[in-house]
Amino acid sequence: MTGPTDQPLEARIVDYLASRMPDGRDFALENVQRIAVGWSHETWLFDLAWREGGEARRRGLCLRRDPGNTLLRHLSSLEQQFRVLRCLADTALPTPRPYWFEPDPAILDMPFLVMEKVSGTCPNPWGREGRAFYQAAADRGTLPASFTATLATLHTLDWRAAGLDFLGVPPPGTNFARREIAKWKELIDVSGHPPEPILTDLIAWLEANAPSVDRVTLVHGAYRTGNLLIHEDRISAVLDWELQVLGDPMYDVAYVLSDLNREGTPLLSNLVDRDSFYRDYEAATGFTIDDGLCRYYNALYAMRSVAFWMSASGLYAGGQSQDIRLARTAWSVPVVLERAARELGY
Amino acid sequence: MNPDQLLERIAAVLRQDIGPAVGAEYPRTQAFMAAVVLQKLGRQLACAEAHRAAEAADMDALVADLDSTLATAVVPPAIAAAVAALGRDRNDAALCALIGALYESRTTLGATRFDALLGRVRRTLRAGIDRRMEFAE
Repeated sequence: MTGPTDQPLEARIVDYLASRMPDGRDFALENVQRIAVGWSHETWLFDLAWREGGEARRRGLCLRRDPGNTLLRHLSSLEQQFRVLRCLADTALPTPRPYWFEPDPAILDMPFLVMEKVSGTCPNPWGREGRAFYQAAADRGTLPASFTATLATLHTLDWRAAGLDFLGVPPPGTNFARREIAKWKELIDVSGHPPEPILTDLIAWLEANAPSVDRVTLVHGAYRTGNLLIHEDRISAVLDWELQVLGDPMYDVAYVLSDLNREGTPLLSNLVDRDSFYRDYEAATGFTIDDGLCRYYNALYAMRSVAFWMSASGLYAGGQSQDIRLARTAWSVPVVLERAARELGY
Repeated sequence: MNPDQLLERIAAVLRQDIGPAVGAEYPRTQAFMAAVVLQKLGRQLACAEAHRAAEAADMDALVADLDSTLATAVVPPAIAAAVAALGRDRNDAALCALIGALYESRTTLGATRFDALLGRVRRTLRAGIDRRMEFAE
């Protein structure tokens, strides 16, 4: 765990944390682990041990650094992530409590935030072990109910009272969908990828069919297993606050319903029975799931996925990232374009 | 040994020998990803020549069909210009421009003609993406 300067990164983290906790001494990091999930920020988990008031203390922390060459490029902001987590800290939604955000790259080479390491695991839904984990949880039934209830909490929380209106409140009409299209188009444009006719078709179709939205909620943008921490068979934290917007809750529902997020199983997000999800979500929110709208958002997710993979592979091709996972996404572009063609009926 | 076979063999070593021997999670993932990249690259190389020929034939057929449609019907000038450019350039940029022109002229064309013209373009796009899926999946 070393950075580009002479002092190892671990020591600099200790120095930083000591500076933020003036009553403590003898700080040490234990169980340091860089986790290989996520496409944007570097994520480090560790336990901080120190002495304070004559007693030994210990706290699990998560540090995220922004190397500036993330998949979302300029659309990703640790500062916004920190701000969102602060707004959500006192709501009913389970999220990690944020502690500090530092924009100054002089401290740890790049901007970073420090937040609570919430108890739980986050099995990878794409791996064999993860799929087995979620299948077993589906059979028990508690976790699927928690999955749906947590999404309902997210969609019914008072975002104005929480102070989340800084995310931008879309006016009534087609503005929400158009804003999303414009955002992903911008990412596609900066990726430097050659023209893709199926993508042009998809974007033109999305613009021509943008739905009108009259209900605005907080939307997570990537609500699925793999972005949810699980402890004792329940969701202990909603993670990955990078794509959130204020907009149509059906945008999240479409993501849950999408077969993008399940492999070889009819269970939504590898976990939830479809009928139960409809029943429990509608009962908890009072919203009716609009299948037509979800189909539209599914096509919009195809566009977003193309934007992600074009951006990711472009970062590797441009030498801005050495992460080989990003190189691999060059072949994900045609896979998602094929899906998009099917969404459009060909 | 062909380049695609060479890449396939290196991928196999990375997947079976090198990756499992790496202890830390992050570099181990990188080793497995490198194997996936080399394997896909190998498949792409193996298909490249046949795909280039099929793509050129599909483009010829599309241009011929569009020319024949335009010869018997009046279309908005933007579409005529886009078809002419496609006939000249025969590339994805020209295809994108044609698709854009079709959507922009959707009202003028009417639903039936719009669907027919876009449907013909989509037939070519489907064939192209099916070919790419041979190595992308």
